[in-house]
Parts: sequence; structure tokens; C-alpha cells
Amino acid sequence: MQRRDFFKKAAVAAGAAALGTNSLEAGTTQQPIDNRKVSNVAFPEKRPLIMYSDRPPLLETPRDVFTSTLTPNDQFFVRWHMPDIPTHIDPDTFTISVNGLVEKELKISLNDLKTKFEQVEVAAVLQCGGNSRSAFKPIAGGIQWGSGAMGCANWKGVRLRDILDHAGLKKDAEWIGFNGSEKAAYYETPNFIRELKLEELDDHVILAYEMNGEDLPYLNGYPLRLIIPGTYSDSWVKMISNITVTNEYKHLFFMDVAYRVPDNACECETHDKRAPKTKPIHRMNVKSVIGYPTRDSVVSHKSHVVVRGVAWDDGHGIKDVMVSVDGGKTWDKALLDDGKLGRYAYRAFRYPFKPKTLGKITIMTKAINKIDQEQPLAKDIQWNHGGYKYNGIDEVTVEVV
Amino acid sequence: MKKLILITGLLGSSLFAQTNEKIEVPYVPFPVKMGKGFEAVQANCLMCHSFGYILNQGRQSKKFWRGKVDKMIKHFKAPIDEKSAKIITNYLFEQYGNGKKQ
Repeated sequence: MQRRDFFKKAAVAAGAAALGTNSLEAGTTQQPIDNRKVSNVAFPEKRPLIMYSDRPPLLETPRDVFTSTLTPNDQFFVRWHMPDIPTHIDPDTFTISVNGLVEKELKISLNDLKTKFEQVEVAAVLQCGGNSRSAFKPIAGGIQWGSGAMGCANWKGVRLRDILDHAGLKKDAEWIGFNGSEKAAYYETPNFIRELKLEELDDHVILAYEMNGEDLPYLNGYPLRLIIPGTYSDSWVKMISNITVTNEYKHLFFMDVAYRVPDNACECETHDKRAPKTKPIHRMNVKSVIGYPTRDSVVSHKSHVVVRGVAWDDGHGIKDVMVSVDGGKTWDKALLDDGKLGRYAYRAFRYPFKPKTLGKITIMTKAINKIDQEQPLAKDIQWNHGGYKYNGIDEVTVEVV
Repeated sequence: MKKLILITGLLGSSLFAQTNEKIEVPYVPFPVKMGKGFEAVQANCLMCHSFGYILNQGRQSKKFWRGKVDKMIKHFKAPIDEKSAKIITNYLFEQYGNGKKQ
């Protein structure tokens, strides 16, 4: 079939592609869109997910997955920037290059990476900076994600620090640039490159080849991706092929223009009056998402219901998750899991209760971290043009029968 | 026995890959609206991204859509001339607009 006919068929399978159903110009941030169904198309190594685009692939994890600390690989969200993703990489011949201001340039094979360096693991949340963007009104530009552009995995690999030490940094080394292997349609399009300042590097930053005990799925960056716990995922370069050490910052679209918020205290602006200065989205704020019940759940009157979900921040750690089952009138502490996966992972929470009224009830969750930052109500979150960093108190309304 | 050792040796040198073949990313048909200027969208936009990208921006103003087209030209270096840029913007606003200029 010609591509042209393909579009003229104007067809069925498009999953999430319909326009948002929330009102368009309310002007106040509200709950993110939560009524999208999984697509009937399964992408490689994935179960059917909420699908926004095939090229580049954009897939969102449905809410009901977020009841446990780790997100299964085949349900983990997917976000690429360029249309041309390598669809085959031979693990026997793949190498990653380390060059620039180093004592000796390296080409490291996957096997060397797995055998010649110390192997480390870190559980960490990977969240798109635009996760929950559909909450913002007026509509912020970008994919209108619900709350599933995120996941948490146990990542295994090698410390970036160890690789750089092996290459030996020269005295004036200051910036580390990372190239992914995705390619644009036009030669002139900027590649997806990120740069980290050397001083930002800590021992938690790793190059990971394994996710939850398995190879990374292709769509999550096989065979190697950067893991920077605590930060939004725009810096977690997938399919890393090259690391270049430099002494000066190169201007990059994906760092200088995209993924930025207003550089003021509230990180906010209005549609008519945009902030003159911006800064990178960088570290994640405190947030929680309810995994059960969902809007499709049927809950029985006076039955034993256990609300479940996940909470996280940028590594300060979660202190409490407060739950309301009466639309925010009263709040109570949820039970947290043991937290043994560490401060960068989700804390799974649960809250048992018995619905005492019939009809609709609204369940809400609010996470509080160890430095007492807490989630605001959705309506109190102020607007930014990119629709980044939404972290409103989560809400699910269910019918009690 | 010799054969067995050889096989073990091969396994040792070859890394396990979950997927040994080329993966296939499926093509997905999106419910696209037909309208004036659609050909220009096909010719200029779909090279880099699917229609899903457009649909999921939500209903937007004319200024927003023009800004998106300009971003593709300025930052992503899409070779779109001014005439096509106008046609594409008009299509996007007519089909996926919110009725507002700004």
C-alpha cells in the first residue's frame, strides 16, 4: 500500500490519537486526561500500550500498571525524537566510543563492559518531563500525555565514572557529551545529544545494558542507555554510541530550546506573557499516581478495597503518602513498601478502606518527601508553555455499587 | 565431546540478545482529516513524524501552528519554503485549530 493511500483510509486503529476530551480553554490546570484506551497494535517487545505515534514511537503506560515498585519492561513507556531508530544492533560487534579530552581513546565492546568493569545496579524512576502534560490549560504544546509517560526499573550496568577513569580525563575536561543512535530524516537536523557537566556526575550515573534483569528492549534504548537517577528522562540518552569529553559547552537544541521551564521561583508564566528566561527541567518534583482503582473499576459497597499506587521524587525520598477517599475532605496515611530499592525508585503505597456510601467517590493521593515538599492540588499548579513538571495531587473517581 | 566444547566456546563468545533479528516498528493509520493543503502536509511533515504527532498537540491557535512549522524549519532544518509553510499552517488551523488567531 502506498503511504498516501494509507492516510486516505483515515482509519480505525489510532488508539490515543483523538483530540483531548477535556474542555479546551478553562485556563486552570486540572487532572490529566485519563480516558485513553490501549491501542490494538503491539510494538516490538511491548504489550499493547496507549499509542500516540508510530514514527517516532510514542507509547504510554496505562494507569493500572502503577501498583508496584518496578514497571514491567513490556509495559514501560516509550519516547523517541527522531524517525529513524536502528532496528538491528549486533551485540557481538557493538562498541561504544569514548573520545575527546581523554588520555586514551576507547572503543568498548558490550562484552568488555559486562566483564572488565565493576557491575552495579540502581533502581530509578524514568519520567518524561512532559508527563501529565494534558493537565495544563490552555493546552501546552507537545504530546498530550496522561500520567503514564514514566516507569521505574532496576538498571544494571557500569558507572560512567569508571569508564571515564579508564579513559583518563585530561585536566581541562569539563563537559561530557552523549550521542544516541537515532537519526533524523535530514542530515542538517540536530542529533539527539546531551551534555552533562563533569561536576554533576555522581556514582549513581551509569551506562545500563540491563533493565529488570533482561536486555533493554530496543524501544527503551538497546543495547545501552544512560541512567541519571533523580532527573527527567530527556537526559537519559538511549542507544548510546559515543561519549565525547570537551572543555566547552556546545549549543544543542534539545538542551537550549526544548525541555526548559521559566527561570523564576514558581517556574511559571502565562500564555500572553511568557517568561524571558528559561532553565532546564532537570530534577523531578514529588509526585504520586494511583494504580488501583481506575475509572473503569467497579467497587462494591462495604467491601475491602485496597487503593494502590506509586510515589517518588528526585531522590530525597518519600516520607508519606496521604490518601483521601472522600474527595479531599479527610486525609489518612497510606502504608508504604519497605523502600529497599532505594531513594530513586518508586515507593509503592497501599491504603485499605471500606466504601461506606453508594455512588461516585473520589480517591486522591498526595505524596510528601523527606524535605517536606508536597504535591499541590491540580488547580494550584501554574502554567508553563512546554507543559512540563506537572505534579498535581492525583485523583480517580469510581462508582461504588 | 569435541563438538560439545566447540558449541560451548561459541556460546561463550556470543552475547545473548533478546531479539536476534531486525525489529519491525508497525505502521499505524491515523484518523486524519482531509482538507485544503493536505498534500503539502504529506509532502513536508510525514518525512520526519507520523500524523499522530500532529493530532496529539490538541486543538491550537493559528499562531501555535505557525510556531510549530517554524520550529521544524528553524530547529529541525526541515526544507519547507514559505509558500508551503503558509499552506501547512492553514491546513493545521482549519482542521486542528481552536478558532483563535493568537
